[in-house]
Amino acid sequence: MRLSKFLYLVICVTFLSLFYVWQETEVFRFAYVGQKNQDAFQDLLDKNIALRYNIKQRTSLINIGDKVSKVADFQMPDNYRLVRLLYPPEIRVSEHLPRQENIVSRIFSIKRQAEAKTINP
Amino acid sequence: MYISNYHRRSGAVFLFFIGFSILCISRLLFIQFFRSSYLTRIAKSQYNLYLELEPRRGTIYDSNLKPQAVNLVVDSLYAIPAEIRDKDKEGIIKQLMPILNADYAYLKDRLYRKKSFIWLARKISSQQAEAIQRLNIKGLDFIKESKRCYPNGYLASHVIGFAGLDNAGLESIELYYDKYLKGQSGCALFLRDARQKRLDLWEKMVLPKDGYDLILTIDEVIQYIAERELDKAFKTSHAQGASIIVMDPHTGAILALANRPTFDLNEYNNVSKDRIRNRSICDLFEPGSVFKIVTASAALEEKKVVEEDKFFCENGSYKVSTHILHDHRPHGWLKFREVIEQSSNIGTTKVAQILGAGLIYRYIRLFGFGSKLGIDLYGEISGAIKEPRFWSKLSIAAVPIGQEVGVTTLQLVSAVSTIANGGQLMQPYLVKEIRVRYGETIKKNSPLLIRKAISIDTANRMKKILTGAVEEGTGKLAQLPGFSAAGKTGTAQKLEPNGAYSHNKFIASFIGFAPAEDPLIAMAIVIDEPHPYYFGGVVAAPVFKNVAGDVLRYLKTNISAKEVIAFHDTGAVN
Repeated sequence: MRLSKFLYLVICVTFLSLFYVWQETEVFRFAYVGQKNQDAFQDLLDKNIALRYNIKQRTSLINIGDKVSKVADFQMPDNYRLVRLLYPPEIRVSEHLPRQENIVSRIFSIKRQAEAKTINP
Repeated sequence: MYISNYHRRSGAVFLFFIGFSILCISRLLFIQFFRSSYLTRIAKSQYNLYLELEPRRGTIYDSNLKPQAVNLVVDSLYAIPAEIRDKDKEGIIKQLMPILNADYAYLKDRLYRKKSFIWLARKISSQQAEAIQRLNIKGLDFIKESKRCYPNGYLASHVIGFAGLDNAGLESIELYYDKYLKGQSGCALFLRDARQKRLDLWEKMVLPKDGYDLILTIDEVIQYIAERELDKAFKTSHAQGASIIVMDPHTGAILALANRPTFDLNEYNNVSKDRIRNRSICDLFEPGSVFKIVTASAALEEKKVVEEDKFFCENGSYKVSTHILHDHRPHGWLKFREVIEQSSNIGTTKVAQILGAGLIYRYIRLFGFGSKLGIDLYGEISGAIKEPRFWSKLSIAAVPIGQEVGVTTLQLVSAVSTIANGGQLMQPYLVKEIRVRYGETIKKNSPLLIRKAISIDTANRMKKILTGAVEEGTGKLAQLPGFSAAGKTGTAQKLEPNGAYSHNKFIASFIGFAPAEDPLIAMAIVIDEPHPYYFGGVVAAPVFKNVAGDVLRYLKTNISAKEVIAFHDTGAVN
């Protein structure tokens, strides 16, 4: 074998070896980067779960219910009950007060049109 | 001469190199053929890391998919004692003691062990972990682990149960459905770098299989209402214990189950066994007058009596064998329905004497007493019912009024549900569905009919009698504003250790359902040794009223808008 061929072979082998080492280091570098991102993501995910758990715990019926029952005798709301509010006398009186509208507003008011009653219902 | 010497020397050098090469090659061959497996093993142990991958334990939800048991990632603290200098250990122990709330002896024992890894505290809180991280101690580090947490604390604690440090179910649903919840571990062979740090590169990996999620029949809101009212009754009556079960009478689905005393699921290792015990399924007691529903149902079903038949109640005193039976209030002539409404022991005994021991025993068994109902919890007991051949002469006056029998709260609620749903004894159950995480249903528990205990006609007649017991009889304090209710009170004397009935220890109970005409819920409330008031109609009936009132309003608000409009159109608005 000639020396030049031998040297050429050595260079090739060296180059291939370096290439192999380089790509191995790249794989590990990416693994480190990926792992770092994954850890950060996982950490955020864990914090999110913990946060949601804390919210759930704070807003649980045990906490809210106990606090409400300390200050009031709480009862479930009922859809079937309509509560008729008794208006204070002053509000009832105000219904009978004469209109406080001037002549201009009386002419141009759309309210009066809306209040018009149909002759043939 | 010079050339000759040169050849000789170069030959010697050549020979030396040849010899050295042969030595190296033979050594390499030796290593390759004889030592390779050993050296490969050592190398692999250096750059490979075998890890077991923990599966996610399934979440437990209530019937409205509100989480009741979840997994959180928390830190576990470990030490590498070899990396800590002996002179620093004392200081570290003193720093860790207040943070971990640990003993000096415990930490000293751990830190002075000659080990390369030792746990100091597992699954600590984030505050503790942060405090330790701030100390920046060499030789201490954390591993992330999954911890079971319960956001609602003590709510439904006897139903949900708890899982231990290794995420294995230890109690109630967590234990019963452990095989579904725990999942399957995976494993992976990760690569390690020169600093022994794990890389996200693996040679082999078997992914863990996460546990399935459970959806309970329990409704968080109903459970809260039941616990709130039970707690009030337990505290105001200074009782030893209390239980409540709310059931959907048509399906057997348990909507709420609670016991007192109770415990916080997040602090399960600091409470006594007595608090953890699920009294409603594993405590046996004599039910007293609530048991009269069995005698009455048997009498109607067998057509031995009708509602208007009259019985003379002996003005409160009636001799059976050698024993004199009393009523809590003297009665003269009572119609059969009034016997139940007024809870007359004498009237019920006379009905039982017409029926005979055999028929009474048959109906007791038909209603599910004396056998396990098959709820999906461990620890359920079957109760204690004597066969008629073991009855004494007095038994005919004792068994029909709920003495000489042992029952559970679960059996009582199932029995009253049988009347509420038209005579069908349903199997009680707590888990509605088992699901893959956010996915398909693996298993669905459908309502299961155990047996037909009584006819629809008898059940409807019993409903009317029990409605009368609430409206006119002993259960007046169970009346609901806006809804009809049916039920039966019970006050049973407890047995003393010497076998005699106690005069100051009672079990107050109430079983019932509402609305009476089309029941949505059935309920059993049992209060153990209430003081100073001890009548079921005084102590347990108000619990029924408060729970049923709130639960019905809650359930009715869940119906569709169309139904609400239809309801309003009928003029049913107050």
